[in-house]
Amino acid sequence: MMSNGAGYGGHEIYGGLAGESAIEAHSVGRRYRRGWALRDCSFRLPAGRICGLVGPNGAGKTTLMSIAANLLEPTSGTLRVFGAAPQSAEAGRRTAFLAQEKPLFKRFTVAETLRLGRELNPGWDQRAAENIVRAGNVPFEARIGTLSGGQRTRVAFAVAFGKRPDLLLLDEPMSDLDPLVRHELMSTLLAEAAERGTTVLMSTHMIAELENTCDYLLVIAEGGLRLAGEVDELRTAHAVLTGVHSDGRAPAEVAYHTVVETRTSGRQFTALVRPDGPVNGGPWQASTPNLEELLLAYLRSPEAPPLISPSSYVAPQAVAA
Amino acid sequence: MSTMTSTGSTGGPAPAESAHPRAGRGRGLRLSGMNWLVWRQHRAAYWTLLATAAITVALMLYGRQQMVTYLDGYGWPDLKSGWEEKFNRTPLSMAGQLIGYAPILIGVFVGAPLLAGDLEGGTAKLVNAQSTSRVRWLATKLGVTALVVAVSTAAASAVFTWWWSPVKSSQYALDWSDGNAFDSSGPVPVALSLFTVVGGIAIGMLLRRTLLSIVVTFGFAVVVQMVWSHFRMSLGDVITVTTGNGVGADNFPKLPDGAYAVDQSYLTASGDLIGYGSCNEATDKAANACLEKAQVVGWNVEYIPISQMSSMQWLGASILLALTAGIAAFVILWGRKRLV
Repeated sequence: MMSNGAGYGGHEIYGGLAGESAIEAHSVGRRYRRGWALRDCSFRLPAGRICGLVGPNGAGKTTLMSIAANLLEPTSGTLRVFGAAPQSAEAGRRTAFLAQEKPLFKRFTVAETLRLGRELNPGWDQRAAENIVRAGNVPFEARIGTLSGGQRTRVAFAVAFGKRPDLLLLDEPMSDLDPLVRHELMSTLLAEAAERGTTVLMSTHMIAELENTCDYLLVIAEGGLRLAGEVDELRTAHAVLTGVHSDGRAPAEVAYHTVVETRTSGRQFTALVRPDGPVNGGPWQASTPNLEELLLAYLRSPEAPPLISPSSYVAPQAVAA
Repeated sequence: MSTMTSTGSTGGPAPAESAHPRAGRGRGLRLSGMNWLVWRQHRAAYWTLLATAAITVALMLYGRQQMVTYLDGYGWPDLKSGWEEKFNRTPLSMAGQLIGYAPILIGVFVGAPLLAGDLEGGTAKLVNAQSTSRVRWLATKLGVTALVVAVSTAAASAVFTWWWSPVKSSQYALDWSDGNAFDSSGPVPVALSLFTVVGGIAIGMLLRRTLLSIVVTFGFAVVVQMVWSHFRMSLGDVITVTTGNGVGADNFPKLPDGAYAVDQSYLTASGDLIGYGSCNEATDKAANACLEKAQVVGWNVEYIPISQMSSMQWLGASILLALTAGIAAFVILWGRKRLV
């Protein structure tokens, strides 16, 4: 297991970043009958991060997670979970996946649902799973079919947590929870992750949720990777320039930098750029974007050049499958 | 906090479960792992099947008891002639019919939803997100289902065969070449049921919709029955007898008891066969003239003796079981790659 990093010359350039990878994707693509859902996706997610996976609907988030969870096979490329193929027994044991629809057996009781986790997972933690269920006052003898949507999500969470995974894949985990429960489950998630060093990859539409919880970010749009890296690293790699525009366009000097997006409203222009040199000195005010500004700019401009930070970069010559 | 919540939840068996990993109702048999999951998920279907088999077996034991009481009056086991006259064949033939329907019912209600339900409801994702492999899941589903189906149908078939055995050689009770007898005794019900149930599982896997799979599996099971009834008698070795002393009413060759006549035709002096119906004339005189003209010298009769029945059943069953194994292997190989 510790042999990872051996074949990746790229890491040595950025010394100190070559920690264990929770996920390594090399040109991963997946094609359905309708076309490519995910295309040429290469990145690395360092172990121990809480990573947000963001993108518009249909961008390939679920596809990417399903590949990591061994529910789908990639059409092209390879993906490794802690250095192992997703279909290997080791990867299966170390990964837990909470699907978007939170599927559970409707006729099982809550206790039986937890027993399912216990019977099928060697490292099962019954106490952790029961604590999550108890915190929501969900009766153990209730049938899943009689629970509310939020209670069901809680039980599904308990099954995912009880597995004691090293990589937890959550597909829109909070979509049907009220704010209190969402907050409580998020705290549980973060506490567990911090205590055990669990890597979390979580897709979401709620940017506020990301801001508080995630220290890592993957943005995909139209099947391709747009942004990857630590949140702070990504933010400081960009600048928001605001100023007064003339004749409806941003000043020409903006184009000295790599422009992600420019917008005008009223007499103001706003540009989100990746600075190629100092940004102060133009006819504008420069500031560091917050996460929301950064995400929206990239999601609105799919043609902007992607930014893959050094910590999430994988060398193009992938290990042989 | 924890005391509050633990009194809030039902407080009964659930908290104890964390200390002792046991939650069954003490049925004696302790299932664990994937076997537990598959049994728990499909226990309603499995118990229904086993209970139906048990009731059928009980009724058939009673039926045999009644029959033996009747036959005792005719000196069974050495039956005196005339026992057939008041013999009530209805219970026996009804039981045979009932067992004959079993493959269709089992394929439709047990086989079709087995994987389709999980694929439609998303629970296939839940199971496959656990630590066990997909092959294990598929193999356990197939294995447990096949075991329950085999046990139920074998029990019913064994008792039916036993019930029928005292009057097996007589056409008055059941015609052995008929589906009611041939498909309901020996290994045939087991093989037909396993074939349709595994076929239903494969259909469900490919279609991924429970209702649609049920409908398509019904069609599949009916076609299997039709094809099977068409080829059933081809499993035997046809025996031919010829006679050379005319075709009068008394000269028809004596066939053994319970022989199934495949074909009969006229044998001519030159050794050719002409069809039985080729001298159907309006009058006997004209018919005789026709036979004379064709130089018919005797009968040519083809039949399958009842002694072949058992070997025919085993041959047919082994063909069906080989096909079943092929479909099961397909389910595992296809499902391993493309499921979920």
